[in-house]
Amino acid sequence: MMGSVTDLLVIEDDDGIRLSLTMALEDEGYAVVATSTAEEGLRHQVKDPADMVLVDLMLPGMNGFDCIRELRKLSGVPIVVISARDDTHDVVAALEVGADDYLVKPVALKELTARLRALRRRTVATGEAPSTVRVFGDLAIDAAAGEVRLGNVPLSLTRTEFRLLCELADHHGAVLSRSQLLTAVWGYEFGDERVVDVHIGRLRRKVETNPADPQHVVTLRGLGYKLR
Amino acid sequence: MTRVLGLRSRVVAVFAGGALVLAGALALTTYEITRHNLLAERERTAERAAYFDAAVVRRGVTSDDADVVSVLRALDTGQGRRPLIRRDGQWFARSADDGITSAIPASLTDLVLQGHPAVQRISVAGHPALAVGLPVPGIGADFYEVQSLREIQGTLRTLATTLALVALAATALAGAVSLWIARRALSPLVAVRRTAELISAGDLSARMSATNDPDLSALSSSFNGMVEEVSRRIEQERRFAADVSHELRSPLQTLTMASQVLMNRRDELDDRTRVAADLVAGEVDRFTGLVQNLLELAKQQGPARCVDTDITALLQRIASRHGIPQELLSVEAEATTWPVDEPRMERVLANLLDNAIKHGGGLAAVHASVVDGRLRLDIDDTGPGVPVDERAQVFDRFGRGRAAGARGGVEGVGLGLALVLEHVTAHHGTVAVLDQPHGGGRFRVEIP
Repeated sequence: MMGSVTDLLVIEDDDGIRLSLTMALEDEGYAVVATSTAEEGLRHQVKDPADMVLVDLMLPGMNGFDCIRELRKLSGVPIVVISARDDTHDVVAALEVGADDYLVKPVALKELTARLRALRRRTVATGEAPSTVRVFGDLAIDAAAGEVRLGNVPLSLTRTEFRLLCELADHHGAVLSRSQLLTAVWGYEFGDERVVDVHIGRLRRKVETNPADPQHVVTLRGLGYKLR
Repeated sequence: MTRVLGLRSRVVAVFAGGALVLAGALALTTYEITRHNLLAERERTAERAAYFDAAVVRRGVTSDDADVVSVLRALDTGQGRRPLIRRDGQWFARSADDGITSAIPASLTDLVLQGHPAVQRISVAGHPALAVGLPVPGIGADFYEVQSLREIQGTLRTLATTLALVALAATALAGAVSLWIARRALSPLVAVRRTAELISAGDLSARMSATNDPDLSALSSSFNGMVEEVSRRIEQERRFAADVSHELRSPLQTLTMASQVLMNRRDELDDRTRVAADLVAGEVDRFTGLVQNLLELAKQQGPARCVDTDITALLQRIASRHGIPQELLSVEAEATTWPVDEPRMERVLANLLDNAIKHGGGLAAVHASVVDGRLRLDIDDTGPGVPVDERAQVFDRFGRGRAAGARGGVEGVGLGLALVLEHVTAHHGTVAVLDQPHGGGRFRVEIP
């Protein structure tokens, strides 16, 4: 699974897209398994987990949102949504249920592989983080072990949430703008800043005692976020 | 230059002007009546006193050589009255004549000489006075009395001042009241204006609030009805564009990936097929850009959400994406930070740089400055510029214009500049096509 070939699971009901996406990604060196329904994709992920999942939102039967939710129950596998919908509503909802990234069709192959590489990097790169445990009040971050504790309770963060928290911890006390966070965590310069906001929200629900009144991850209006 | 006064100013002017005329007329009438009455009263008193004094004089002066002056001195006239006697054209007074006798006009003395009692208002040393002349039969002389009107004059002056102040106060009060009334009466218009401004800033959900006033509710309901209808149509149009674009997205995704697979094997294709594959790939790219722009235009974006943004960093990011060397960028110190809607400003600049590269013969410079309190962004290209008569059209949707085509652009301007206009307008800013002083085209964006 951690070999040089990345296994991708593509869940897409449109035959043309599924086939062309599979071919194009295979050309890029990915090992692709494609399914046309969420149910089929989930069965496959249980049996033989892929390294990353690409999922469409409008699927027959179980929709993309429920599919992401089910995938999240299984593991913290990186999930990228590719959808024809770009309403803020859909973007936020998909990220809320656990997607790591959101792309709007039509997406160019170059863009897609850049995102996948960035996602792959932050999934793998966490092992190289400094081994010291950093403490912010009741919040303790062990980057090397990939562990975060609130008080004495270990928290379960997704890879993206963990990377986001580490990035804020690395620049402890400094304000990081949304675009800085996008570059550092998601690995691309021009993206949807809603991705950052939603992940910050998800992160807060885990690391804050009262997410409505954040003590650790604070917003500086018009500037960005910082950890304290 | 004729400046038309606003409705409110006109209402206030009419009210205050009316109040001034009315109060002025009232004050003037009051003054005149009071003055007349006061003077008439004083005349009657003066006459009575003169008759009384004349009787005393007549008893005192018995012969021609009697001491006229001592008789005058014996009169109890108080301060206000000055008795005089005229006999054979010669004046006798109690003390030295200080100009009183010369102030008595000949018309009065003539009248008295003919045996008629007479009263006349005269002026003694610049002060108003009343002269009463009575023939005194039996002693061969006329009796005169000059009474000062200074006291009345003072009273009238005080009255005039008071009345003028009251008139002014009434005018001011009328002005204030009419301002208040005008404001109240025009408040629906202000509400209409505010709502219209909100709507034109992109908030199509803005409506006039309901009111109980039957006159106003008709206005607000018909206004709201109009907005409803207009926004319904806009919504319809947008939804159509969104639906169309949405339906185009899935096939475009397939085309994008499939043409990529073709391009991956470009070298394996024979010449003829390669040309065809290149055409397909090129058109897919262009079509993708078009649909993305169309979708952006169709999206209901509302007003710009401006926050302080690092303009230098923004320009550098966009430049690096377009492969533009940083040396072409210059940002003046006061323009480094400006409140803009960053994602939308990014689109504006990206589209303008794109336009300069594709249709303007290449980017020459980007300069950011602050002029008259507005952020000014000049995007200069090396092309021939846009002819004056075509400048307005370049911002039309799909309005590529003859010049754009002639400048060797393979792709049409399409929607890029229309999007620029849309986003800049959302910032309440302006975008214009100009010529550089030393040749070359220039797009100037100004953001307040």
